[in-house]
Amino acid sequence: MAQVKEITRKLEEIRKKIKAEIPWEPVGPTPMPEMPDLRQWDMRLLKTYAPFYAPFCDLCCFCTYGKCDLTEGRRGACGIDIATQQARFVLMACLMGCSAHAAHGGHILEFLIDKYGPDKKIDLGTSIDVEAPNIRTVVGLKPETLGDLVIALDYVFKEIAHALDSTHTGQEGSALDYESKALHVSMLDHVGMEVADIAQIVGFGYPTSVADTPIIELGWGAIDKSKPVILVSGHNPATSTVLIDYLREHNLEDQVEVCGLCCTALETTRYSSKAKIVGPLSRALFFMRTGIADVIMTDEQCIRTDTPQEAAKVGSAMIACLDKAMYGLENATDWDTDEIVRRMVDNREQFAILDPAKAAEVAVKVAMKIAPERKKGWLTEAEAVELAKKCTNCKMCEQVCPNLFNIGGGISEVAKGNFDVIRRQFLQCVGCGKCEQECPNNVPIFKIMQIAAGTETWKCRSGRGPIMDTEIRNVGAPITLGTIPGVIAIVGCSNYPDMDDIADMVEEFAKRRYIVVLSGCAAMAAGMRKDKDGLTVYEKYSPNFDAGGVVNVGSCVANAHISGAAIKIANIFAALPLRGNYEVMADYVLNRVGACGVAWGAYSQKAASIGTGFNRLGVPVVLGPHASKYRRLYLSRKEDDDWRVMDARKREIVDTVEPAPEHLAYVCETKEKAMPMMAKLCIRRNDTPQGRAIKLNHYISLYKKYIGPGLPEDIHLFVRRDADIPLVYKKEVRAHLQEIGWQPREPVGLPTLIGTYPTKVPVDAVIH
Amino acid sequence: MSAVIPRHRVNVLTGLKSAKLIEEPAEYADLIKKAKRPLLVVGPLLLAATPEGKVLMQYALDIAKAANIPVCATAHTRGKMVELGVEPQCVYDVVEVVNALKDPKWLGVKKEGNHDLVMFFGIRSDLGNQGLSTLKHFAPHLKTMTLCRNYFPHANYSLPNFKKDAKWLEFLDGLIANLKKGE
Repeated sequence: MAQVKEITRKLEEIRKKIKAEIPWEPVGPTPMPEMPDLRQWDMRLLKTYAPFYAPFCDLCCFCTYGKCDLTEGRRGACGIDIATQQARFVLMACLMGCSAHAAHGGHILEFLIDKYGPDKKIDLGTSIDVEAPNIRTVVGLKPETLGDLVIALDYVFKEIAHALDSTHTGQEGSALDYESKALHVSMLDHVGMEVADIAQIVGFGYPTSVADTPIIELGWGAIDKSKPVILVSGHNPATSTVLIDYLREHNLEDQVEVCGLCCTALETTRYSSKAKIVGPLSRALFFMRTGIADVIMTDEQCIRTDTPQEAAKVGSAMIACLDKAMYGLENATDWDTDEIVRRMVDNREQFAILDPAKAAEVAVKVAMKIAPERKKGWLTEAEAVELAKKCTNCKMCEQVCPNLFNIGGGISEVAKGNFDVIRRQFLQCVGCGKCEQECPNNVPIFKIMQIAAGTETWKCRSGRGPIMDTEIRNVGAPITLGTIPGVIAIVGCSNYPDMDDIADMVEEFAKRRYIVVLSGCAAMAAGMRKDKDGLTVYEKYSPNFDAGGVVNVGSCVANAHISGAAIKIANIFAALPLRGNYEVMADYVLNRVGACGVAWGAYSQKAASIGTGFNRLGVPVVLGPHASKYRRLYLSRKEDDDWRVMDARKREIVDTVEPAPEHLAYVCETKEKAMPMMAKLCIRRNDTPQGRAIKLNHYISLYKKYIGPGLPEDIHLFVRRDADIPLVYKKEVRAHLQEIGWQPREPVGLPTLIGTYPTKVPVDAVIH
Repeated sequence: MSAVIPRHRVNVLTGLKSAKLIEEPAEYADLIKKAKRPLLVVGPLLLAATPEGKVLMQYALDIAKAANIPVCATAHTRGKMVELGVEPQCVYDVVEVVNALKDPKWLGVKKEGNHDLVMFFGIRSDLGNQGLSTLKHFAPHLKTMTLCRNYFPHANYSLPNFKKDAKWLEFLDGLIANLKKGE
């Protein structure tokens, strides 16, 4: 009885927070869900897509009982086993990722509410009515003001604390339950990201309700180094937008170059098309070491921890602008501006300045004072040859390279005057600098690589924010029927096996009329290659969210617009209510929205939570080889796993046999393997025969192109009836099916997992 | 390569249950011959060629032929195998075949029962080591071995770090010769 009272009290509290009395939609079964509320959905997913663990460490060393050896079935002093320890680690990674985005959102909100007040209206333009699909679905709230976003974020912060608590020694004892918690906080990550980006769009006036956003200069060759140069680095645009404001107010925008690294670059170019993008995180150390930046301003997340030291080496001034990374610097926030400028110019001191307006003013004044005195020259080929002569190609550098290649081989060729090898290696370099610190001969590898980096410039389309409701209405039917073969979302960081892979993937799928969506460092990498006519993918393909479009949504936090688009298809096109109705939305996406995420260079904890959040929503993700170090994947065994669904129209459980999608989190080694898999992971049970034939056409042709002659070994699992076979391969597929004794089967009218596992959601809820 | 274990290992344990390092081709060949259902998993590093122009994949195919071992082609290696006249017994990616191998009830690529010895050859070392770690922890029913030129600590048996390619290729030639003995 007491328990019932407690549940009722909690529910009332939630209804109050989400303003349940405003009847824009009925409140679904799980508004503001807590950890156990969607656990049954997770367990159903994990039944088919079981966690696959690849321990990166055999031990647990979290508490003072340890270190504990967890090999050969041993348990730690607290009782934990190796699988549960991996799951716990994954949860912690997802918590870090979720916290980073949510705290970013929190800081931006605080900044903007301070400026505009909590009642500032959320207006994303005439083409966007469903402004916050993640918040509406998960929280159950329709945010109308900046103040409403605080309600969503407070809920996220509370859940983060609960989930983090569960990682303490001696608590959760089930790997599956840790996974459920990881899925939970990663779902919340998409809420936090959505809060952050909506606040930014509203507060900074970023583009919205428009597809054709400006084309931006990319590459350090685009930077006019004869001017004072200010580099902004990280993710949080509070500082960089104020910096642009300061330059505009003082009529200096054409006199000072503003350039950015990583997501702050994407954010800044959404605010000013005059700003330049240096490149993804993998270019950070290279660029800093050129000394082109007169002032470096760091904010948060993906910024190098050695920025103060690197800045000092080349005489760049440096300001830490956010409390997340203060680098041990003196906090000068309350000091007199002129005094800070004097000390930075005269004494080369570095400071933390947490007031964006003051940081901006100091950065501009310092840059203008020191720029004329600084030399910013490129290394010449002759100088590079001379420096490279110290290399003995001892291969010590190879031993520490995260991408496992021998830069010494390239450097020793430079010594002979051959720059071809190092130019190729530059595309594989993840920019960590470990090779240089390992070199016994102190060869300045990064400096020599300036020769490979060159001064070429490329183009990137400015991030456009949410997908418009009008676009969703246009593509909803072709996506769910399969006639647009899929949505390929290429996201995440720059820890690529080869940077060129990204442009290859974009080209391959845009040409095939998939919708290609990009964000973060991947959005920059996609633009860093030109075709024979000198065009990048952003100049060649339409910016519309439609077949053959190449869409840059923006920075990391804009990933919420990709998950949001999937939810909007269920809500706007299929007219399913989303309010507090996560299970129904995720079930729809899993079974009917042919989308596949690709995090080819994922390195960070944020990438872990972004990807895991997509997984809970039913979107599979393909990861590059480095991502095996995340320790966990979600893989099915297609021949043996449970592919049964409920046919909601007939109310009967059907064994579809087809692994669609086959995996939820999958790692592969080469782009050649990844591309057929990406096409396969867009197959959904809901495909019409016409749609399935189109999807199989791409799967088979990509297989033949990259894997070899013949047919994919599992093609029979995806052919339901003869009409599913693509015309081009009809004869070959029919002969193969006959040979293996394939039997036709009926497609499922309305496939859903609801009804195949214990849930409060009725089957009726998925019928639209 | 066996590490010295400190008395109070709780304080300083490094956590690496390391592979047994084997340098003699004959010893490797004996281990392979003793296996009842071995499997050779090949990766994309075998698409490269020696300075003399021999595709590394040919070594894998020669080993498989000499010991009658089924081959699992990962990544995009199948195309090269077919070009060299051999159709692999199965096409999986590394994580997929490892996922199957860790199930003791899996029937293996020949449907005769799970494999008792799994050889990794030509898979990049980060992914290879992670896959071997999965098998080390979750597949006690099988042994693992690598044929690459560098040491893989998570395997049961590994080659050393060869300083020169020639020495490694010499080892592989020796292994093939030993496997052919008594055919």
